[in-house]
Parts: sequence; structure tokens; C-alpha cells
Amino acid sequence: MKRRKFLETLGASAAGVAAFSCADREEAVRIGAQGVSDADLTWSKAPCRYCGTGCGVEVGVKEGRVVTVRGDVKSPVNRGLLCVKGYHLPGMLYGEDRLEYPMLRDGSGWKRISWDEALDLIASKYQEALDQHGPESVAIYGSGQWTVFDGYAASKWFRGGLRSNNVEPNARLCMASAVTGFMTQFQSDEPMGCYEDFEAGDDFVMWGNNMAEMHPVLFSRILANKRENPGVRIIDIATRRTPTTDYADMYVEFTPGSDLALANGILHLLLRNGQVDNAFVRENVIFKRGIEDLNRIGYGCWGEDGLATDHTAGPAEHYGFRDQARDSSLAELERFLRDYTPERVSEISGVPAGQIHQLAELYGDRGRGTVSLWCMGVNQHSRGTWMNNLITDLHLITGKISRPGANPFSLTGQPSACGTVREVGTLAHRLPADMVVMNAEHRAKAEEIWGLPAGTIPPRPGYHTMDMFRAFMRGDVKVMWTQTTNPWVSIPNLNRIRREPGDGKFLVVSDIYPTPSTEVADLVLPSAAWVEREGVFGNSERRTQHWHKAVEPPGEATEDAWQMIQVAKRMGMGHLFPWPEDDWHEPMYEEYRSFTLGLGKDVASYQQLKETRGMLWPVVNGVETRYRYAAGYDPYVTKRRGVHFYKAKGYGEKAAFWLRPYHPPAESPDEEYPFWLCTGRVLEHWHTGSMTRRVKQLYQAAPEGYVELNRADAQRLSVGSGQMVRVVSRRGSLELPAEVDGRGKPPQGSVFIPFFDESRMPNVLTLDAMDNISKEPDYKKCAVRIERV
Amino acid sequence: MRRSHRARLTRRTLAGVALALLVGGCGGDTVPVPGREGAVKSAAAVRAERRAYDGAPPTIPHENFGARCTACHDAQGQSVTGVGFAPASPHDDTPRAGGTIRCRQCHVFVTTGESFVRSEYEPLEQDLRRGGRATPGAPPTIPHRTLMRENCVACHDGPGAREEIRTGHPERSRCRQCHVPVTGRETFDSELGDGVTEGRE
Repeated sequence: MKRRKFLETLGASAAGVAAFSCADREEAVRIGAQGVSDADLTWSKAPCRYCGTGCGVEVGVKEGRVVTVRGDVKSPVNRGLLCVKGYHLPGMLYGEDRLEYPMLRDGSGWKRISWDEALDLIASKYQEALDQHGPESVAIYGSGQWTVFDGYAASKWFRGGLRSNNVEPNARLCMASAVTGFMTQFQSDEPMGCYEDFEAGDDFVMWGNNMAEMHPVLFSRILANKRENPGVRIIDIATRRTPTTDYADMYVEFTPGSDLALANGILHLLLRNGQVDNAFVRENVIFKRGIEDLNRIGYGCWGEDGLATDHTAGPAEHYGFRDQARDSSLAELERFLRDYTPERVSEISGVPAGQIHQLAELYGDRGRGTVSLWCMGVNQHSRGTWMNNLITDLHLITGKISRPGANPFSLTGQPSACGTVREVGTLAHRLPADMVVMNAEHRAKAEEIWGLPAGTIPPRPGYHTMDMFRAFMRGDVKVMWTQTTNPWVSIPNLNRIRREPGDGKFLVVSDIYPTPSTEVADLVLPSAAWVEREGVFGNSERRTQHWHKAVEPPGEATEDAWQMIQVAKRMGMGHLFPWPEDDWHEPMYEEYRSFTLGLGKDVASYQQLKETRGMLWPVVNGVETRYRYAAGYDPYVTKRRGVHFYKAKGYGEKAAFWLRPYHPPAESPDEEYPFWLCTGRVLEHWHTGSMTRRVKQLYQAAPEGYVELNRADAQRLSVGSGQMVRVVSRRGSLELPAEVDGRGKPPQGSVFIPFFDESRMPNVLTLDAMDNISKEPDYKKCAVRIERV
Repeated sequence: MRRSHRARLTRRTLAGVALALLVGGCGGDTVPVPGREGAVKSAAAVRAERRAYDGAPPTIPHENFGARCTACHDAQGQSVTGVGFAPASPHDDTPRAGGTIRCRQCHVFVTTGESFVRSEYEPLEQDLRRGGRATPGAPPTIPHRTLMRENCVACHDGPGAREEIRTGHPERSRCRQCHVPVTGRETFDSELGDGVTEGRE
């Protein structure tokens, strides 16, 4: 410490002495009493690192380290408030086991190597696989935590350089069903509403969504609305009681998977009660129907092609089911819904008929704004696209869409699931701005912007995540690189992807901490986290947000995009990244932005992002859009009133209402495995816990995994909270402590396990069944039994 | 580059010694430590212990009684038999919020003393300096940020208030009529150009 600084510190302390009580004086002596004030700090803005809410955070830096954060009062997302994870962001950067150097597997241990050696090695491994086995043998698996730069670099390098579409994100496990939901109905991804719906709405219907824990800041906005307007109602449609239920005006408990029947039951009553908004439907809606035959669809997990409907067919290797649409009509819908009387729906779902009537009255009440909210319960569903369709159907049939306080609103779990995965396009079939690799015009546009010869981008989508990991285990994928994700905790049916390094394949893992995924890697790279680099995220409400680098990363850690660009350059693909080494973020972003302009997907300019707390796309002439497709809000709508679904060119610029039936879940409880297992998150931890468990306060609040049991079930098994039980499925078993009457209360015959604890991974139990259209796996429904240990 | 632990320790020791010389030893204002019969600590130490950094929401220092938080942490605070004094919530809207506020979005229980891995995080330390006065006799300014802590008396009055910050005139309910915050800008503002901090590159 410099002498002058020391004296200044001392001076400040001495000046403050008069304010101290004696005990405080002792404390002040202990901590050095430096009297830190704002003046010693450098502040910058950033979106929070964790969920898809995208709260604005002010980051306080002192002497090169993040020492504090506070909620950004100027952020329209959170207006100064954060959740407990957000308030404890600084600790996330400073766990003592941060990865700081590239490490190569060396026998049973690791040896430190230089970046040059690491990057050369990755380039040679990819090149060797390409030469010997072709572009389908290489893969990259990133995430919804990739910044726009990371995702754009990965997509451009893979599709335009390696000529492989094997680019996938963990968001396939998270919101792929919401993508296919929006795409099948509007031919454009992402919600029409924005967070202002939380103040404008009257009724908030949560479909399988524990918003109080998973999107706490947004839930607080709804609570604030309820505080000001006592008529506001929260409806919790769920398979177990959660902290959200404590605030609900109505709790609707359904049998897992039967939400499909429930939504159809509500539609049935809306039609029967004459609550269809006929004028809206005539003007704006068409009707579609897809393949409904269970034996043609399967569940993706059994039988070689995934089409089998029970476990005796053995595990699946591929699943490529494709839906086929045909035109339908309101008249056909009426016939289709005859099966979904309240009585029959009640039988399937366990929901009392009276509640189905209440829900229909709520959706059908023209005087009230209805906002439907959903997240993983609907998306991680073996018919997740169907469920997305049905919720939006409720809004289309009642005309409650594209206006303040009346919208279907899909929440996302990762900070840039929207900004990177969906908008940049890092799913195996997607290109920027709703374009797809299967479409020749779309490929041509990408090749033109990227300055590549026609025919560079392959027309066939790469492996979706589940098939990608199956292919890696088979050996069809030889080299895989994962970034900002922890698949060896988060992939369902984990025992299928157990890996011993030295199996002839090569796995690179970039991360900030050691995890079960780095344990099975051949090469581990240290990444820069959050404000240790410059970044752009896009949140759930279409808000693109930028942050500056605020501190240096530890050791030799570097940002993920840089790592990919360096490997691309070593493989002779430097032309894809022609920007100066010290100034490439803005030009890369502006190139990406050129994909979006003029299409109703227009993201804001880099300059505007720097100057604002984010902008809601489409941004036209510097003005953001709060309500898409809505006259008076969306600059692409030229009508004076109402809505215009202008992106749905293939549907005559109307939205598609999809008729979707009820299918049973892939696996349901039986005599041998009598309990439902649902898995999910908790407030304090984010996903696999690799960041949040390293924060003292978060770890101490929720240190370890547990299994929630209903009190009656616990009594029958003679176990109490804290006692160890064994949970067994057809795929694995897991010992963990029971929790009875904790924060979540499953009904009899149901159990819940959170997945943040890497030493107690419920994915050894879960089934790799997946949605037929989005290929997103179902983590919410499989069968287990419980044994006393 | 990280600073070495040794350098940090030396600096602290020096500052500590110097300060100790100035203030001398004394007994004074202490508070009981929940869960540890008879143990006492300085109020500032307890305050620091419950927060990740100065300004972080404090953890909950008692076990989960299964009751709604606002049942005890009401507008004035109250004595809870067998537990101690439950201070009022400093948040303006808590008392009138009833069942429409979620305290545990920010405040969590401490269920273990252990950590997953050791943390090298060094928090923003407590600012124990007092506010200034424009002139002798003028009401002192507020030396801390007030964001979302509008109910001043939660900390500055009642049995929960530390003696040295307890107000002498609790009957005057509009504190901010006379006392104003002087923490500089509440937030940076890039649009208005009043000090956005561009990150280093």
C-alpha cells in the first residue's frame, strides 16, 4: 500500500471516530476502519448473470475487484430491486477454485499448458475429425448463458467455417418448446408482450410455474400490482404447492401431464359458453392440426428411432419425428373439443369440474386482462410444443393478445436464452432473426452477409442436444467442445452418458469452476465470467442489454468467444473474424445486427445499447417496441387499430390456432415405481449450482439436495425431515435426505428433487423422453419408488 | 493480478494499531449473539456478519418459525416471547403489504455454518462514519443510501436500534424533512452523461 493512501485512510478513520460507540470502535479497529464510501468505487451497469429476467445491476469495483452490487433503480426491469442471488453476485466470481489456466489431462491428473498449446491442440483435433469423418463428427455445445458474441462466433465458425450445423445450446433443455410454440403459431419467435404486462394485467395464470422462486423480481411486480389493486388475482396451476401458492388466489392441482387435457377443457367451455371473440378470430386466426397418432410420435427415449411407447423397446439412439400440418377450422375444433367435457377432463387431471369452469370464466371474461405465464413446467414436457400452443390458443380464441395486460408470456431461465440462442440462432437448425438452415433463401442471405461462397452452409440441421450426446457416446461425434454449461449434471438419464476419458474421443470444457463436466474432459479451459469481459444478453421480454468489462479475469482466463475465434484462425478461418484483436465486439455485433434489420426483429445499435438500460426489439429509428403486432405500438403494423401478425407470411399474416390433444406422459407411476418424480430449481441456486454454491450466503441458505415428500407418504414410510431415503427409478438410484412440509409440498404419490447439488444429481433418475417437436426433454415426469435407508 | 494476502494483512494491522492508539480501549455497546447463550459482540460486528457486504440484504438471524415474517416484523416491531425484539421492517411498504410481499426473495435463513469452497471475495466494508452538518447545529445529513429503506425508525428508534444511532426525537415522524442523504449520486446515468463509468478495456 502506498504511504499516502494509508495516511488518507487513517485520516478518514480519525475523522469518523467521534461517531463510534466503544464496541463499534473495537470492530472498526478489527476491520481496519477504512471508511469506504462511494467515492472509492467505480460503478458500471450490467444485467444480472443468472436468470432470463435480466435485472439491471450496478457493479461496484474497488482496486480491480467487484466488491458490491446494487439494484439499478433506472432499469425498467427491476427498478432497483434484486433477488437474493442478484444481491450476492460478487461472491460468485471469487470462489477459491476458479479455473485460471488451460489444463490438459495427463494420465490420472492434469498438467498446465499454455494457451498456444491448448488452441493448437483443439484446432488439430477438429481438423483431424473433419478430415477423417466429415463435418458431422465435430460439435460445439454452448448455452443460454453464452453472450451474443459467443453464440454468434460459434454459429458463424461452425456453419460458415467447419460447414457443420452441430451447434447446440443447453437451452434445448430449457425453452426449445417455447421456440417451436411461437414459431408454429406466429412464424416468429418470442413473446408479443413485455414486463409492463405485470402492472397492466388483472389475472395472472401460472401454468406449472413457481414464479416466486424462479423469477422473484417479476413476481414482486405482480405482487405490487396486487397491493395497489386488490382485484388482481394470481392463479397457480401446478403439480405441487410452492412459495408461489402462498400468494395465489386459486390453487389448481393437476396430475402431471394432464395440463394438456385441462387447457382443452377450458377451450371446450369457452366455445360452449359462447365466449369466443368471433370478430378477432375471423380477422386474425387460422386453424391447424398436426399428427396426433401416439404410435407415430413416441417419446424419443425408447426404440431405435424413439417411436416406441414403452420401456421394453430399449433405449433410443435417434429421434427425428417431424410434425405435418394440415388446415383445420373452427367447426372442426368444436367437434375435436367434444371429448374434453369438464367431467372427462376432471377424470384425467384430477382438477374438480368447478375449477375448470372458473378458469373458463376467467379466460372468457372480456373485461379483464389475462396474462398466462409459463416456464419449465410447460417447456420440459413430452408434449411441450403442444402445451405452448394450447396456452396461446386460449388467448387467440378470446382475442386477449398483443395488448397491455393481455398476453401469453413465456419466461426464460437463462440470461440470454432469448438474446443468443433464439435471436442469434444457436440451435442446430437456426440462423439469426428467425431464419433456418433448411431454407435456401435463408442460407443464401447468411452466406451473403458472411461473405461466403453459395452452398457453404449445409442444409441439414445438426444433432439436437439429446441426439448429440447419444452420438458422442456412440462415437459418431469425435470432438465436442462445451462452454458455459454443465451437461454432466444437467442432461437427463445421466447414466447413459457416463464417460471415461481415453475413449478415443476428445472433449474440451470451458468453464469458470471445476464441475462434474470438467472432471470428464480431456482439456479444460478457464473462462472469463460476467463483468470480467464485455457482453450483450437478451432477456425474456426482448430486451437487449450491454455491459462493459469492469474487472480483469483471474489468471489466464479469457472470454469464450475469443477462445473460438483463436481456434478458427488456427484452422485457416480467420476471414470469418476480420476485426482488430483489440476492437471486435462492436463490429461483430453490428454485422449480426444487419441480419435483423427490416424484419421486425431489429435489435438496437451498439451505441444505443451502451447508452441505455437495454432496448426492446424491434427497435426502429431508435424507438423500442413494447407490444409486438399491436397497432399503435409496433412500427411494422400499419393498421390503425387491432393487431396484425405480419410475420406469419405462410399463414396469410394470421396467427395459427393449433388443435392439440391429450397424450399420457412417457412413464407414469405403477406398482413397482409408485411415485411421480419432478425435478427443478430453488430460489437460492441457479441451475447446477456451480456458481451459486460458491457464494457463502446462498450455500448456507440451501446447502444440499433433498427430496420433498408429502407428509402422509413420509408417515407411511416412517421417515421424517432430514432422514435419508433412497429414490429408485428404472435408470438409477440416489440417496438423499427427505424434506417434509418444507418450501415445496408435493401431493401424495409425488416427490420433488432440486438439481443444484452436484453430489446428489436427480438426473441419474430422470427419463430422456422428449417433446416430439422441440426435442426438449421432460424433467418433470417419471416414475420412482422410495425406500428407507 | 490479485493483491497478496500478506500485503492486505499488513495494511490492516497498521491501520488497526494506529486506530487503537487513537481511540484507546473501552467496553461499551454490545448485543447478544442469537443462539449463543451469554455471548456478546459489537453491534457493528453482528451487522457485518449478517451481510455479504455493506448494503447486501441481511440473512435471517433466527430459525424458521413457520410464521409470516410480517406477523412479528410489523410497523413498529415487537417483543417476541422467548426470542427477543423483532425490529420493524425498514421497507416502507412492508407493514401495509400484508400478504403481498415476499421477504424471502432477498432474506434467507442460515442453515449451516459451512461453505462449499473457501471464498476469496473481499466485501465492501461497513461505512461507520457519521454524516456531516452544513453548519454547527444543523441537522446531520444521512451518511448512507436509503434505497428501499424508507422507514427510518426501524433502525433509529426502539429497542432494536443501536444506542449511538437512536434518535432523540422519535415523535417527529417525517425524518427526511430535515435529514437529507449526501451519498453523491444515487446511481450513474449515462443518458444524462453524469458519470457513467466506462469499463476498462
